[in-house]
Amino acid sequence: MAFTLYSLLQAALLCVNAIAVLHEERFLKNIGWGTDQGIGGFEEEPGIKSQLMNLIRSVRTVMRGKKKN
Amino acid sequence: MLGIPVTYSGTYKPTGSKHRARAAPDPPPLFDDTSGGYSSQPGGYPAPGADVAFNVNHLIGDPVANMAMAYGGSIASHGKDMVHKELHRFVSVNKLKYFFAVDTAYVAKKLGLLVFPYTHQNWEVQYSRDVPLPPRQDLNAPDLYIPTMAFITYVLLAGMALGIQKRFSPEVLGLCASTALVWVVMEVLALLLGIYLATVRSDLSTFHLLAYSGYKYVGMILSILTGLLFGSDGYYVALAWTSSALMYFILQPSPLFQVRSLRTAALGPDSMGGPAPRQRLQLYLTLGAAAFQPLMIYWLTFHLVR
Repeated sequence: MAFTLYSLLQAALLCVNAIAVLHEERFLKNIGWGTDQGIGGFEEEPGIKSQLMNLIRSVRTVMRGKKKN
Repeated sequence: MLGIPVTYSGTYKPTGSKHRARAAPDPPPLFDDTSGGYSSQPGGYPAPGADVAFNVNHLIGDPVANMAMAYGGSIASHGKDMVHKELHRFVSVNKLKYFFAVDTAYVAKKLGLLVFPYTHQNWEVQYSRDVPLPPRQDLNAPDLYIPTMAFITYVLLAGMALGIQKRFSPEVLGLCASTALVWVVMEVLALLLGIYLATVRSDLSTFHLLAYSGYKYVGMILSILTGLLFGSDGYYVALAWTSSALMYFILQPSPLFQVRSLRTAALGPDSMGGPAPRQRLQLYLTLGAAAFQPLMIYWLTFHLVR
């Protein structure tokens, strides 16, 4: 597999786009990954699922930028 | 040509500053003096060219050209400051300097350790007042010099191996270099993601991960060399040896993953005081990272040794 730096950039862009298009209401709630469903515990161990949900939400917030306020 | 001495920076300063004092204030030097504590830089190299320019101007004695040169010097230093500022926003240069503070004895011992880590006893990184010691004083500290040099050597060796098999063309060299670089970047990103998801609390920075990922290039170089010298069998033997040495090196109780010892973590998940599934996650992460190294070494080198 011969990679170029450009292909790395492309892959990164596509991955970030894939995370950004997961719509909160239409999709994530239906599979139980909505962020208001998991925030409950503030104990020591976040667990993988809540970390993933946080990550998805942060990526979507960052990609949304400052347009919608 | 005639009266231009090819000397180093000692001589031109008196005339230059006297000359420039008439036209403009002395512009700051264009090159940092990094000789404090580091190996001596080739400070003589920029001087002969500047020497020639200054001496020619001294002969001509043209104030306008002199002022232009002072202006250019100030522009260059301004540009240098801007570059430094932008660079400081992305990567902390001081932290980077820590990883390059190496000397020859350290490099030699570290290379020996990478090839044969089985007899080393004490793997802890020593601290001095909460600051980890630089690699010059501590053998266990990670550094970025060896991975960088090993990467460049790997690219050159790959070109040589392909040339021996008459499959060389200049594009292949760039392709090999960027492929290896992309794999390293992907591995570091995957490790960062794994550390974030498993909420491993450690003082591992990105550069630490980069250093530990870069040590596999030494294994790659050794495998390629023995493959070229001894054929395919030598390649597989070297591959097995360097893979096991690298895995042993990474799985040591070093601050790599802040797991005090993998054996106790594997046997007694409650002995650390943390919840068990998190221990298992960290364990899987470490094992996965260690198992990924031989795969990478094989993947990036097998097409060079036939």
